[in-house]
Amino acid sequence: MRRGNRLAAIALVLATPAAAGEWAQIVAPLALSFPSYHGSHPSFRTEWWYVTGQLAEPGGRRYGFQLTIFRQGLDPSPPASGSSALRARQVLAGHLAVAEVGHKTMRFAERVRRVAAGLAGASENDLDVFLDDWEMRRLPSGVIALVADDRDSGLTLNLELQPAKPLVLHGEGGVSRKGPEPGNASAYVSFTRLAARGRLSFDGRERAVQGEAWFDHEWGSSQLGGGMMGWDWLGLRLADGRELMLYRLRDATGGAAPESAGTLVAPDGTTRHLVVGEFTLEPLAWWTSPRTGARYPARLRVRVSLAGLDLEVRPEVPDAELDARASTGTVYWEGPVAVTGTATGEGYLELTGYAGEALTRF
Amino acid sequence: MLLRTFFLRPVRRRPLRFVTTVVGVAAGIAAVVATISASQAAVASLREGVAEIAGRARLEVTAPAGVPEQLLGRLRPISGDALVVPVIEEIALVPTLGDAVRVLGVDLLVDAQVRTLELSAKDGTPLVVAHRMLTGRGVLVPASLASRLALRAGDELAVSVRARRETLTVAGVFTPTRFASAWDRVLVVDVALAQELFGRQGRIDRIEIVPRSGVDEAGLAAWARRLLPPSVRVEAPAERGAASSRMVRALQFNLTALSGVSLFVGAVLVATTLATSVVQRRTVLAIARSLGSSRRQLALVVLAEALAIGVLGGALGVAGGLFGARAALASVRSTVAAAVRGVPATAIQLSPSLAIVGLLVAVLISLAAAALPLVEAIGTPPVQGLTSERPAFLRRPSRRRAALLAIGLLALAAALARAPAWHDLPVAALLASMALLGALLVSASPVLDALARRTAGPQGGGGAGTPLRLAVAALAAGRRRASWAAGAVGVAVALAVAIGTMVHSFRATVVDWADQGMRADVWVRPLTATTGVQVGRLDPEVVRTAERLFGIQVIDPFHTAEATMRGQPVTLGAGAFAVVARRGGVSFRDGRDSRDVFATALRHHAAVINEPFANRFRVNEGDTIRLRVPGGELVRAVEAVFFDYSHQQGMVVIDRNDFLRIYPDDGPSELALFLPPGADPATARDTLLSALGGRFLVEALLNKELRDEVVRIFDRTFAITRALQAVAVAVAVLAVLTVLFALLGERRRDLALLRAVGGSRAQVAAVVAAQAALLGLTGAVGGLAIGLAIGLVLVKVVNLQSFGWTLRFLPPWSALAATALLVTVACFVAGLAPALAAVRMHPSEDLREEG
Repeated sequence: MRRGNRLAAIALVLATPAAAGEWAQIVAPLALSFPSYHGSHPSFRTEWWYVTGQLAEPGGRRYGFQLTIFRQGLDPSPPASGSSALRARQVLAGHLAVAEVGHKTMRFAERVRRVAAGLAGASENDLDVFLDDWEMRRLPSGVIALVADDRDSGLTLNLELQPAKPLVLHGEGGVSRKGPEPGNASAYVSFTRLAARGRLSFDGRERAVQGEAWFDHEWGSSQLGGGMMGWDWLGLRLADGRELMLYRLRDATGGAAPESAGTLVAPDGTTRHLVVGEFTLEPLAWWTSPRTGARYPARLRVRVSLAGLDLEVRPEVPDAELDARASTGTVYWEGPVAVTGTATGEGYLELTGYAGEALTRF
Repeated sequence: MLLRTFFLRPVRRRPLRFVTTVVGVAAGIAAVVATISASQAAVASLREGVAEIAGRARLEVTAPAGVPEQLLGRLRPISGDALVVPVIEEIALVPTLGDAVRVLGVDLLVDAQVRTLELSAKDGTPLVVAHRMLTGRGVLVPASLASRLALRAGDELAVSVRARRETLTVAGVFTPTRFASAWDRVLVVDVALAQELFGRQGRIDRIEIVPRSGVDEAGLAAWARRLLPPSVRVEAPAERGAASSRMVRALQFNLTALSGVSLFVGAVLVATTLATSVVQRRTVLAIARSLGSSRRQLALVVLAEALAIGVLGGALGVAGGLFGARAALASVRSTVAAAVRGVPATAIQLSPSLAIVGLLVAVLISLAAAALPLVEAIGTPPVQGLTSERPAFLRRPSRRRAALLAIGLLALAAALARAPAWHDLPVAALLASMALLGALLVSASPVLDALARRTAGPQGGGGAGTPLRLAVAALAAGRRRASWAAGAVGVAVALAVAIGTMVHSFRATVVDWADQGMRADVWVRPLTATTGVQVGRLDPEVVRTAERLFGIQVIDPFHTAEATMRGQPVTLGAGAFAVVARRGGVSFRDGRDSRDVFATALRHHAAVINEPFANRFRVNEGDTIRLRVPGGELVRAVEAVFFDYSHQQGMVVIDRNDFLRIYPDDGPSELALFLPPGADPATARDTLLSALGGRFLVEALLNKELRDEVVRIFDRTFAITRALQAVAVAVAVLAVLTVLFALLGERRRDLALLRAVGGSRAQVAAVVAAQAALLGLTGAVGGLAIGLAIGLVLVKVVNLQSFGWTLRFLPPWSALAATALLVTVACFVAGLAPALAAVRMHPSEDLREEG
């Protein structure tokens, strides 16, 4: 759900004004069939495959990385006769961001393509998504392979991700409720901990890296309720073997909407669904973007009393604002964080709706 | 001081002479600037349009009948190094504009990285606009066009595509960041909509490749070639522009050469003026020399005058040229648009370099023309100048030398006219024309001299009246200047005669060709722009409707597509050979009956080729040609060569059934209907149009209407040529006027003497007027002869070399005679003003100078 708002922004921009009813709706319980479950679900309007993680050179620099491929359906109706095969019925957008922790610098690249003519596409059978020469693919071994590069920013990413824990179904059996209406839900599953190994270049020189990653896959058609300003999402991998995912939907007053929720994953992979009263997210400091003037929370206090967690989440790179107006039409903050407090760990934080464009603009 | 005395004072006293010279130079420069500007604008818009519309693309993937869209996916491996973008570029008609527009189909999701089109902020963010374009029938309209048609986002815009009426929705208005003129007739749509509009499903015109930073282009091109089948080309966009501008180059070259001749006339005029001005002031100059002025100072005076004429004439000419270019553009535009598939510029922009060149040429020509008078001014000993003797330099007889030179130039012209084209340009032939003009100039002097001796001499001049004899004698005395004037008149007449002959030959040939070749009863084609340029093709549905109504055996749809022959683009045409074999109607070079030709070609799967193709590739009847077409090579025997004055580009025509096996049916460019005997064409046309209903925007022309239109288009195309002809004549009249005033000044003493010995005012006036008329006649007769020779070169050599067209040599005799007469009369009328001046002078004052 977390990226739901951002994609909703794209959806508002790009999707046809056709009644949402024409798109399939997420209804519980989910009928999950593997491995097609990992593939594309084009009968739903929005979908994304989202990988974040921390990497390090052996004895050297540390990095945070994000590779996301968004799918946006534009037209749910079958193609009219005589219509061009190049008609943009679906669009894929890609975001690649790498943060170098030591120098606190961040580089970003984006791609966008219609699903047509073999330039971009997503298989419905398994995870096999390509967008220009960027790829995200699940190998027969279960390993997820990522390939992405960008000459202009000097980034290349070539990773293999080995799931270290079973797939997590968020919400209720994978159905993550996002709003009060029946259709306000998405299907949301994650590999919350994967061992990552591969090569990365940040400044033109390719280096061997390894670390840990988080993989999200989410889709739906009209998951969001109205009146939302943005959201704060985080996915933390704690040193004690647990993982914590939380999202707080912010309403017009800045308060948490009742649909805000989370998931706590035990070291053995068992999960606990967290609802709005069971956790708090509290900004401790703020950072203002010199480019957009947007003011983002810079440090967060995160409390989940029932799990004995009282954590401070601190960005490893303060300026992790991403300007993705050329692909998804959004500006947001997303970067690696370090965790201290009753537990230590690392993870990724995402902050949207602060640059004043996403939800209010369209 | 000297400058004031010898230059400013005469200018103040005789402003008319100075002004006419300046205007003469200006007219020549204006003709050049106008022609070059107009044709440059037309050509530049093609080239610039290619460059600008190609945006940042450095490589393009193209194929003769379009690139299969699946090849986009094959290029995915290079997408890390380059942006891969599909493009469709086509032509549509906007009926409310009455003009053709380029329709650019692009991938709006990524195209912002290739072309920078600034969207109007009030239409919403780029993504909002993109949404309207991706899912609907949205179109982006350039700001200039939007304001002209009063369009805003959300409005509907009707266009005619493949003769179908299509309605688009204005999704936004854009302002190009550079080269606005390249975009002012461009509509931007999503590539998918473009495919649907133009019936190109599955194909795109080209794939553009934009390298990302630091990528080696050569390596990228090689990689792309490895990924793609060999049937497609991977090349730089400029090469495509070069191919289309090559066709326009010949036209541009010829127009420029033609205007260069006007400039030549202007140069002769300057020389005449300066020479006479030096002569007129010979006395004053001699006094100055006697009083100690150096030769250098005198030279400076003459050069100062030349410079002033050059600068003023040049500046006026550049300004006038810009003005004239606007008028010329319409003519050039329709010619260029007919030659290539494109939408040429609608606006003229004077390039600063052309303005500077125009000015420089005017100054250089004036200075060069000052050379002879300069020699006279500084070479004349003071005493001779003071005694009003003829300067020895000018008196020295040089008849034989001049005659030899003239003969030499004629021989040179004959040799040059036989030389082959240089890089497809008729350079040698145009040099031959210049040599002919040179011959005319150098022979003017001996001719006048001979005329003088015959008329004035005791044995030859018995029959001539006194004024005529005196006039001839006066002309002979001022021979050098008179010959310049006669030469200037002759050059102008020659130019007018040559152009007139060329245009008339061309027109008569085309009219004959249209009469013989256009046998169909009704022609159907897409609605044309107001320029007469056909826009796009007919939807295949139009053909099916016609077939249903009239039967397949009377329908001849004519298709065209691109192919390459020896690496050069040519047109592959296709008609229903079976239909034409029954009805005929094409003129073949070898004179065979067209029914026989098409029947044989149909039996043997042979092709017919047009004359430009035959000339360009040196292919004749019976030869075998190999064309590169989609999916391989097309090998055909040439059955016959047909005359074709509607295409400059080489064209091969095969049977339509063969054609449709190679190319997809994008619809024909036109459709001919051969009705059974006795059927009424007008009724058939009405039947067809009502069956097509309001869905298609087509024009259906009856036989006579089409033939009339051919002539109308021809006349519009040659409007600029006729304008140049008028400029040449105007310059000639100015030349005569100037030289007569000067001759009058020189002959004041003789005329005064004539009055003093009892000559009446009428006799004096008659002498001057006769002088003018004789000068005009000499020029006219010489010009007529040389003009016909140049006309022959233009018709038989220049046209063939430039366009590949064989024309018959058909001079418009009565018009030529009228021109010669008109010029003589004009000279006579021009001479009336000096004649009146002569009447008004006081003999005693003019004779007093003797003392």
